[in-house]
Amino acid sequence: MTDHPISEAHDQLAAELALGVLNGAELREARSLARTEPAFRQALARWSGRLAPMLDDVPPVDPPHGLWRSIAGRLGDEAPASNVIVLKQRVNLWRTATAAATAMAAALALVLVTRVPPQPPVASPSPAPMVAMLGDSSGAKLVANWSPEARTLVIAASADMPADRGHAHELWVIPADGKPRSLGTMPSGKHMMMRVPEPLSAAFRNGATLAVSLEPAGGSPTGSPTGPVLVSGALESA
Amino acid sequence: MLREMAGGDRNALSALYQRTSAKLYGICLRVLGNESDAQDVLQEVYVTAWSKAEQFDPGKASPITWLAVLARNKAIDQLRRRKVTPDGLEAATEVADDAPSAYEIAESRQESGRLAGCLDELEDRAGAMIRRAFLEGASYPELAVREGVPLGTMKSWIRRGLQRLKGCLER
Repeated sequence: MTDHPISEAHDQLAAELALGVLNGAELREARSLARTEPAFRQALARWSGRLAPMLDDVPPVDPPHGLWRSIAGRLGDEAPASNVIVLKQRVNLWRTATAAATAMAAALALVLVTRVPPQPPVASPSPAPMVAMLGDSSGAKLVANWSPEARTLVIAASADMPADRGHAHELWVIPADGKPRSLGTMPSGKHMMMRVPEPLSAAFRNGATLAVSLEPAGGSPTGSPTGPVLVSGALESA
Repeated sequence: MLREMAGGDRNALSALYQRTSAKLYGICLRVLGNESDAQDVLQEVYVTAWSKAEQFDPGKASPITWLAVLARNKAIDQLRRRKVTPDGLEAATEVADDAPSAYEIAESRQESGRLAGCLDELEDRAGAMIRRAFLEGASYPELAVREGVPLGTMKSWIRRGLQRLKGCLER
């Protein structure tokens, strides 16, 4: 980190801002410096780091059950950014965080990296229709409906998402074994319907994921996804 | 790449929640003192962490520290919003803005673990006041009234305390 020199008065003000004791005109001045002065920002970040260990002593308390569901429900509405880089950074944060510290965290991270989805119940023919909402960080983009009897998959897009010339959108189903199977490239337009051939249709079960990746025109040359994932979502009983 | 990405970040966030929510909920409760506000703020913390994740710099702070400070800052914002006073407008302008600086934290390896010792070394009750300010979101005037000392006295206690703290941590 490059060191920006800072006056003692400003370092003190940064300490007071990090501590939270300022009010009125001093608070406004400190905030304005934090917006405009790199040296002040650096001093503020250092003071936040110095004071943060006070939070170590606060005893943990389990939040009530059900809170996670409300948070997960809210995530669809937030986060304006939707590009793959931001998504990757998020994954990095959660990875680093989950990998930190305890053995339990390490175990969780391992689960994430190897991504072993829950095994479907043995001998369930899964005749029920299923639905998947495929989205990215900015929300759902596609809705997929699976009819097992007819083995048809109907996809409706909330907006047309055309691929540019030279690229194609390829649809994948990822069953419990984690290995993506191609369902073919997607035509442009807001709706598409496809018949899924017999061996592939077995992949449409609870816990499977549908995803769309960006591929060269004509689809992935390797039979596995090669480009970034644009949207994805889990299949659930409708 | 697909295996990493497909639904993976949501799964990862769920794992992160399991791993960190008790710590962060404890912080929200400590600052706010009531469960309903603490639950609201805890939700906001994870939603914000999700949308501001790109501002987290693993080279500068550990994820748990980053999240803990985020929870503390959000809880204190909520506390200030709750204090409806005659000068409500003034109070409203004092709720933290969403500047990027709010998400920057630089930890130093040498300093971690030494803060408590350094706080205990401070004189003039400065250590207790600094703890109270940080964990209860109390401003200079509030601390002065609670302790029954003039505002100037409180400011010089804390300012001197912060300066000594820095010296102690850098020793």
